Amino acid sequence: MGGEIIISANLEKDWKDIVHRCFRCGYCKFTHDYSDFNCPSYKKYRFETYSTGGRLWLIYGLISGELDWNKDVANVLYACSTCGNCSENCRFDKFNDLLVDIIEAAREEAVKNGYCPENQKALVERIKNTEMYNPYGEKNSNNEALKEEYDLPDEAEWVYYIGCTSNYRQKELRDATLRFLKKANINFTLIDEHCCCSPIIRTGQTECVKDFINYNMMKIRETGASKVITSCAGCYRTMKSDWIKHDDSTDIEIFHTVELINDLLNEGKLNFKTEFNQKITYHDPCHLGRHMKMYEIPRDILNRIPGVELIEMERNRGNAWCCGAGGGVKIGYPEWSVEIAKERLEEAKKTDTALISSACPFCRTNLNDANQEFEMGFEILDIIEIIDNLDYEITNSN
Amino acid sequence: MEVNKILNKLIEIVGSEFVSNNPADLYIYSQDPGASEPRPVDFVILPKKVEEVQKIVRLANQEKIPIIPMGGGLTLSGLVIPNRRGIVMDMKRMNKIIEISPLNRYALIEAGVTSGQLLAHLNNNHPDLQPPIPDAPPSITIAGNALIHGSGYLSQKYGDHGSMINGLEVVLPDGEIYKFGSCALSDYWFTRGPIPDFIGLFISSFGTMGIVTKLSIKLFPKPNMRDIVFGLCKDPSVLPELISNITYADVAEDILLGIQDKPDWMKGYTFIIVYITGETEEELINKTKILKKMYRKAKSRYMKVPKRIEEVFLEKPQFAAKAADFRKGGGFEYVGAFIPLQLIPKMIQIGTDISLKHGIIPTLGARLIGQGHSAMFFISYSFNRADPKDMKNARDALHETNKAALEIGGIPWKAEIAGQQLIMEKMDPNYKKLLKGIKNLIDPNGIMNPGNWEVK
Repeated sequence: MGGEIIISANLEKDWKDIVHRCFRCGYCKFTHDYSDFNCPSYKKYRFETYSTGGRLWLIYGLISGELDWNKDVANVLYACSTCGNCSENCRFDKFNDLLVDIIEAAREEAVKNGYCPENQKALVERIKNTEMYNPYGEKNSNNEALKEEYDLPDEAEWVYYIGCTSNYRQKELRDATLRFLKKANINFTLIDEHCCCSPIIRTGQTECVKDFINYNMMKIRETGASKVITSCAGCYRTMKSDWIKHDDSTDIEIFHTVELINDLLNEGKLNFKTEFNQKITYHDPCHLGRHMKMYEIPRDILNRIPGVELIEMERNRGNAWCCGAGGGVKIGYPEWSVEIAKERLEEAKKTDTALISSACPFCRTNLNDANQEFEMGFEILDIIEIIDNLDYEITNSN
Repeated sequence: MEVNKILNKLIEIVGSEFVSNNPADLYIYSQDPGASEPRPVDFVILPKKVEEVQKIVRLANQEKIPIIPMGGGLTLSGLVIPNRRGIVMDMKRMNKIIEISPLNRYALIEAGVTSGQLLAHLNNNHPDLQPPIPDAPPSITIAGNALIHGSGYLSQKYGDHGSMINGLEVVLPDGEIYKFGSCALSDYWFTRGPIPDFIGLFISSFGTMGIVTKLSIKLFPKPNMRDIVFGLCKDPSVLPELISNITYADVAEDILLGIQDKPDWMKGYTFIIVYITGETEEELINKTKILKKMYRKAKSRYMKVPKRIEEVFLEKPQFAAKAADFRKGGGFEYVGAFIPLQLIPKMIQIGTDISLKHGIIPTLGARLIGQGHSAMFFISYSFNRADPKDMKNARDALHETNKAALEIGGIPWKAEIAGQQLIMEKMDPNYKKLLKGIKNLIDPNGIMNPGNWEVK
């Protein structure tokens, strides 16, 4: 009895066998210094049920048969932006890194049992729609017009995977990225991309995911590219972390735009000719930060832009407060989603900056929505847009 | 009970967002992280104001529905799981830090303030003050801890955390607000007396006397430097005198004992962990020298430990919940008996024997309280939450330990209902008579966390 290790070696596959390891100690709710609750869901609802511990216990209840599926249980599972603060603060090693995965796996079970909430169902309906292939319900863009506008080849070393949010909602971000890649003389092209599946993976609607990944991979391979770059933190996390679960090929390297910019700066190939004289605060996107542990690269870039004074918000890096858009919360709980973003803007106010920068079009969207709704007076720009405002020179990027 | 009628009335009091009888919430509040079996709950409610607490209590009294006040919900012994259904009142929305008095060294807080919240508030705003907090996660409440006779940081020097309460605001079952301590007659919540002291009625009574909504808790100066000096003892019989001598020398802020059979190198030893403080490095060096000498004299020895172990023990709060993960099963519960120092060797033997009998790796320890006046000796049983037999095994071990602790003259701390019954079997009959009388006087309808401290 005593001392045996009950978990199996293959944690990812056997999450049902380890979910009971959660003691519900509550570390997952807090910031690093315990000064506040950092779990958006617990902070909003305040029932223990809405902490990650509560969710894991519900999931265990479902697995053990102590609890039946119903709407209320499903709602608790979906009222979570999967920001990963819980993983950051949970103290149980080799368990804490699986918390978001377990919640997503439980959402898959909710879908199978017919308890996916209606709002979130729209995501998969739109993505599967052969006129759309995106969660916004926009007519699919095959990106041919952009290829023509930017004089892009059919075959190239790189594919710029724009992502649905940038292509249909944050076109300034997309266009700034295109201009940068052209100026950097990157040998790249675009594909007729379909959704990366982030919104449906995050909401447990995974039935068609493999088909979408196969399609996108096929399109990427058709270009002969060995590298994919994206300006979207959500696509980046999904391609780098989720696609490999469904496609075992390792021949394609995935980059976020900030990685390319950082490399060019490190190699002395990117030189800024003008200044950006502003105080800026940086918002860590959950999908880039806690999910992919990329905290310093965006900051290193901002710190090397002449004139920029980077001022940190109190909660930053692994401790950052979520923007509230992720995990299906934006579509499932639109009012709460902007409330979460509002809290981030209020925190940003304390830095005495007027500009919030990030590296995710989805964060940009939600922070902007809150900014407008609550008249907070910020300018919200992606790092690539800040660079796009400058004169710069790129030499020998190949 | 007319469920919808009650639900609607509760909604009228706190709003629909903060009362629930949905199956998800009831499932979570029907159990705690310890080894107790789940027990059904009718409603969960999260009041924000004392006026709301009053209205809920009046409604419960009128409808004769049990109320179970809950802080962090981490006593582990099922004290906030209803015994006869009812309303669980989760206090955590009442989380205002009302006043910090640096001069008089107290914090006046609402009942839902967590230890993490107060600790961070003091670190950020009053870095020269420290709160009494237990070795429990930061999600526990200061009020909940103090009201169960909690112990932890500063207990060696200043006593158990219940004794650090200066004053209380309590809603009694009649729905009225009562104030106890200096706040009953002064604007300053600075002391418990000198008036007849009723505060003790609310400590370790597990919510059976009323609902505490505010409390004033003592704060203490935070020394400039803090360190730990480990000792290693092979013969438990020397421990009572050694500990007593350390407290005489007045060098310890806190003293812990640790006894574990795993990892193997720990087996057969008692680890003595003495927290020392000082204003200068020199002061720490001197205290370390004194302790080394005492260890040697008691046929024990000083032990230098790696930095990472030091850090584990110096962290505030200490990550004691790690015990739940020893066997990757997500659960542990312990008997923490208050004992006089001379019983430490016996408790080590009892804990080891019962653990081995139940096939659980011995994990025991103690925290000294009040400069040698007593020790809270814990015997911890980890279990696999997914295995009902293993949980029952832990429950059996806990019950056996409660019995053994009582037999040798200790008193189980925050005992589960079965443990409370064991305590009362041994209790002086007149104490029980008085307890019953007071309970009946304060709570004639028996709505306050019934089943606990029930004199039969």
